[in-house]
Amino acid sequence: MISTIILAILALVLAPLAGALITGVDRRITAWLQSRYGPPILQPMYDVLKLLGKEPRVVNTWQALCAYVYVVGAALSVVLLFTGADLLLLFFVLTVGAVFLVMGALASPSPYSQIGGQRELLQMLAYEPLLILVFAAIATVTGSFKVSAVFELSRPLLYDIPLMYIVLGYALTIKLRKSPFDISASQHAHQELVRGVYTEYSGPFLAMIEIAHWYEVVLVLGLCGLFWSTGVVGMIVLVAVTYLAEIIVDNVTARLTWHFMLKSAIGTGVALTVVNMIWLYAQ
Amino acid sequence: MLGNMINKGRIKSPWVVHFDCGSCNGCDIEVLACLTPLYDIERFGIVNVGNPKHADVLLVTGTVNKRNQHVLKNIYEQMPGPKAVIAIGACGCSGGVFREAYNVVGGVDKVIPVDVYVPGCPARPEAIIDGVVAALEKVKTILGMTA
Amino acid sequence: MLDTLVFVTVLLPFLVAAVLLVLREQNMRKVILVATAGVLILASLAMLRGGAFILSPAASYDGLITLGDFVILFVVLFVGFKRKNQIILWLTAAQLVALFWFEFFTLKEHVPTPAFFADDLSLVMVLVVSIVGSLIAVYGIGYMREHEEHLHLPKSRQPRFFFFIVLFLGAMNGLVLANNLLWMYFFWECTTLCSFMLIGHDDTEIARKNSERALWMNVLGGTAFLFGVILLHKITGTLSLQEILARGPEFAVAGGAILAPMFLLVFAGMTKSAQAPFQSWLTGAMVAPTPVSALLHSSTMVKAGVYLIVRLAPIYAGTYFSNFVALFGAFCFLATAALAAGQSNGKKILAYSTISNLALIIACAGINTPAAITAAILLILFHAISKALLFLCVGAIEQKIGSRDIEDMRGLYSRMPRTTVVTLIGVLTMMLPPFGMLMAKWMAIESAHGQFLVMVMLALGSGLTVLFWCRWAGILLASPFGKPVPETQASSVRAPLYILATLAIFISLLSPVVYSYLVAPVVAMYYKTAPYTISFGNFDSTMGAFIIYPLFILLGLGGYFAVKQARKVTAAQIAAPYMCGEQLTVDGKAGFLGPLGQHVPATSSNYYLAQFFGEAMLSKWVNVIALAVLVIMLFGGAL
Repeated sequence: MISTIILAILALVLAPLAGALITGVDRRITAWLQSRYGPPILQPMYDVLKLLGKEPRVVNTWQALCAYVYVVGAALSVVLLFTGADLLLLFFVLTVGAVFLVMGALASPSPYSQIGGQRELLQMLAYEPLLILVFAAIATVTGSFKVSAVFELSRPLLYDIPLMYIVLGYALTIKLRKSPFDISASQHAHQELVRGVYTEYSGPFLAMIEIAHWYEVVLVLGLCGLFWSTGVVGMIVLVAVTYLAEIIVDNVTARLTWHFMLKSAIGTGVALTVVNMIWLYAQ
Repeated sequence: MLGNMINKGRIKSPWVVHFDCGSCNGCDIEVLACLTPLYDIERFGIVNVGNPKHADVLLVTGTVNKRNQHVLKNIYEQMPGPKAVIAIGACGCSGGVFREAYNVVGGVDKVIPVDVYVPGCPARPEAIIDGVVAALEKVKTILGMTA
Repeated sequence: MLDTLVFVTVLLPFLVAAVLLVLREQNMRKVILVATAGVLILASLAMLRGGAFILSPAASYDGLITLGDFVILFVVLFVGFKRKNQIILWLTAAQLVALFWFEFFTLKEHVPTPAFFADDLSLVMVLVVSIVGSLIAVYGIGYMREHEEHLHLPKSRQPRFFFFIVLFLGAMNGLVLANNLLWMYFFWECTTLCSFMLIGHDDTEIARKNSERALWMNVLGGTAFLFGVILLHKITGTLSLQEILARGPEFAVAGGAILAPMFLLVFAGMTKSAQAPFQSWLTGAMVAPTPVSALLHSSTMVKAGVYLIVRLAPIYAGTYFSNFVALFGAFCFLATAALAAGQSNGKKILAYSTISNLALIIACAGINTPAAITAAILLILFHAISKALLFLCVGAIEQKIGSRDIEDMRGLYSRMPRTTVVTLIGVLTMMLPPFGMLMAKWMAIESAHGQFLVMVMLALGSGLTVLFWCRWAGILLASPFGKPVPETQASSVRAPLYILATLAIFISLLSPVVYSYLVAPVVAMYYKTAPYTISFGNFDSTMGAFIIYPLFILLGLGGYFAVKQARKVTAAQIAAPYMCGEQLTVDGKAGFLGPLGQHVPATSSNYYLAQFFGEAMLSKWVNVIALAVLVIMLFGGAL
C-alpha cells in the first residue's frame, strides 16, 4: 500500500521531467535528420517556464477548466500505469483527459478551434479501438488486463503478439501527433489550422497542455515498453528504437487526410489484430 | 526562484509570429531563410508559431497601409504579455520607398510600439538574427537579468 | 406486508390511473401524482429491504389476468382493423387463437403457479421503474402543462396521458415481478398498448404513423412471446419461471429442444428493445412528448426486453445459441453507435444510444459468464438513470429554445446555465470513469475477452460512443464569458432533474455496495461464483481491477483543482477567438470583418460524416446484416 503511494508520487513527479527530456531529444534528432543543430535538450522545459510566465488568456472559463482536467487525466493515467493497475481502466482515464481537451476546443467559436476539435475527435475514433484491441491481445497472452500481470511473463510480449506492436505503433503515431497523422494539431514547427485544437489556449493554460502532452508521451512509451517486460536493457532498446522509427516516419511523410487516417488505422489495425489472434489461437 | 527560472525560459524560448503587412515578400523570404538549416534559429529556441496567442515576438515586414493597420493592431493586442515587436526591412522601419503613397500609413511604429528595427531591403538573415538577439538583450535588461 | 407492497407497486398504479383518467382538475392531479410517486418510491425501497420472495395471490386473479389478456388482444385487433394493418390483424388473430387453445384446452390440469417471484435482479428493476419512473411522471406535470400551452389545445388531453403513464408503471412492476409466464405476457402486452397510445398522443399524422409501426413490431414480439411460452410449457410442463430457471441447465444439455422457445422469447425481447432490424420504431417514437421517450423508450419499457433476455441467460448458457446472441448484441452495439454518430437531432442521438446500450446488455447476456451478467445488470441500472436524465434535459431544453437539434444548443450555458450543467453531468456519467456506466462497460469489455469478434465490435463501438457524446458536451459550453441569464423553470421539472443528477453521481459512488448487496448474490445464485471481490472499495478479480474510491477521490480532487483555477479567470483575461486579426464581436456573436466591411458571424457545425454514418444508407446495411444474423441464430443456434 505504502509502496504503491510512493510509486504513484514518483510517477507523478518524474514522468513530466522524463517527458520533457524525451521531447527535447526528439527535437534534437529531428534537427539532425534535417542537417541542422536544433535546440538544447532542455528546451521543452524553457518553453513551459516561459508559458507559465505569460499573461493568461482564454475565450471563456470553460476552456480554463478543460485545460486543467486534461492534465489531471493524463497525469492520473501515468500514475495508474506505473502502479500496475488495470490497462483498460487506464485507457478510460486517459479518455477523460482527451475528451476534456476536445470540449475545451469546441467551447470556442473560432473556426480553427472548431475544426481542430472535430479532427481531434476523428483521431480519437482512430486510435481508441486500436488501444482496446492491443490491451485485449495482451490480456489474451497474460490472462489478465492488469499491468502487473505483464511483468510475470517469462518471455516478452513481442514474441507472442508482434503484429499488435505495429497496431500500437499506429496509436503511438496518432497520440504523439506525428506525420502522417498530425491532423488536429502538431508539434511546434508544423502548422495546421493555425494550431488546430490548441489555437485558443495561451499562457499558463497552454503550459498545462504541454505538460499533459509530456505525460502522454511517457504513457505511450511505457505501453511500448510493456512489450519487453523481461529485461530493463531490452525494454530501453525497444522503446528507443520505436521512438527513433517514429521520428523518421514523421520526417519522411507528409500530413495526410483524416479519411486516410481512419481507413488506414482501423482497417490495418483490425486486420493485423485478427491475423495475430488467429496465429495465437493456432499455437 | 520560480521567477528566475521563468525569466530564463523567456530568454531561451522566444516564439515568433510573423505578419506581412504588404511587403514584396523579399523580407518574408529572408525570414523564412532563417528557419532553414543554413541559419537554423530553432537552436535559440525560436519557433515560428502562426498564432499570436502563442507568440512572444511579432516580426513585421512590409509597409502598414490603411487596409491592414487595424489587423496589425489586432494581432499585437492578441499577443499576451510580455511581448516584443521587431520591424524588418526598410518598409517596416519607415515605409521605405512607398512612404509617400496615398494608401500607406508608414512604418510599423505608426501603429504599434516597436522594440527593434532591422533595416535592409531585403534585410539579410544575419541582420534579422542580430535583431532578435538585440530584442532578447532588451528583454533581459527589462527583466533585470545580467549577462 | 409483502402482499401490501406488491399491491402498492403493481395494482395501485392501475387504480390511480383509472382515477386520473376521469379527473380533470389540474391541482388535484398534481397532488395525486406526487403522492403516488412518493408511495411507489417508498414501497420499492421497502421491498428491497425485504429481499427475495415468492408470492401467490388468490387464484381468482388468474382468471382476471386471462380476461385482461383477451381484452388487450381484442383492443389491438380493433386497432389493426381500424388502421387496416394486415400484419397487426393476422398476428393478433394468431395470438387469439393460440391463447384460446392454450388456456382452455392445454392448461386443463391447473397446477398452481406462484404469480410473483423476486430475486435481486427483479428488485433492482422494481427500484429503477419506481424511482426513475415516478420522477419522470412528476416531471411530466410541468412539461405537459407547457406542452399543451404551446400547442394551444382547446381541451386538455392530460388525463389520457397520465392514465397511460401511471398504468404503465404498474404494468412494468408487474412484468419484472412476474413468475407465471402468462402473467408476464399480460403485463408485456399492457406495455405494448401503453406505448402505442402514448406515441400517438399528439394525434398528428406522423404520430399516428409511428405509433402504428411501434404497434406492429411489438405485436410481432408479443406473438413470439406467446408461442415461446406455449412451446416452453410443452417441453418443461410448467409456467413457473423460477422452476424453469432452477431446472434450466438440465434442459439445455438434454437435446437442446429448449433452445427453440428460448429463441422465440429472446426474439420477443429484441423487438421490445428495438434491436436491429426493428430499431425504426424507437427512433420513430421520438415524436412523442419527452416524458414518454424518457420513461418508455429509454429507462423502463425497453429494459423489459433486455430484462427477459438476462433473466433467461442461465438457461441457454454455454450453448452456440448464446454465442450468436453475443455476436448479435455486439453488432447492434456497433451499428447503432455508428447511426448515432451521424445524427444531429438530440432525441435521435439519445434513441440510438439507448439501442446501442441495450445491445451491449444483450451481448453481455450472450457472453453468459458471471462477469458478463454482472456487467449486464449494472448497465441496466446505470443506463436507466443517466439516459432518463438526458431525455428530461433535452425535453426542458426543447421547450425553452424550440428545437431539439444539437446545433441549436451551441453555447446553451449562457441561456440555460443550470440545465446545461445537469446535461453535462448526464453526458459525463454516461461515458467517463469513475461513473458506474463506464464501469459496467469496462466489465463488459473485459468479459468479452474470450470472444474476439465480439471484442473487436465492442472496441469500435466504444470509440464511436465517445465521438458523439464528446462533441455534444463540447458545444454546450461554447458560450461567451460573462454571467449567464438566470434560468426560470417549473419546480416539477427542475426537481426530477436535480434528483436524477444526484442519483447518477451518488449511486456510482456506491457501486461497490450496490454490487455486493444487489448484484453479486443473484449472479452467484445462477452461476455459482461471484466474479469480483471488493477490496478497499475496489472491484478486483484475476482478470482486472477497477478502482472506485481512489479514482473518485483523485478525479474529484483534480476536478476541484481545475474548477478553482477556472474561477480565477477574470474579465481582463478573456480574449476574442482568433480570426486572423479581423475579429469583430457584434451583440455577443463572435465573427470577423468580412470583405465588404460587414460583420460575418462565425458559424460552424459538427462533422456528421453522412457518407459513413448517414441514417438512410447505413440503416439498410444494418437491417440486412442484423436479419441475417437472426436467421443464422435461429438455424445455427436454436435448431
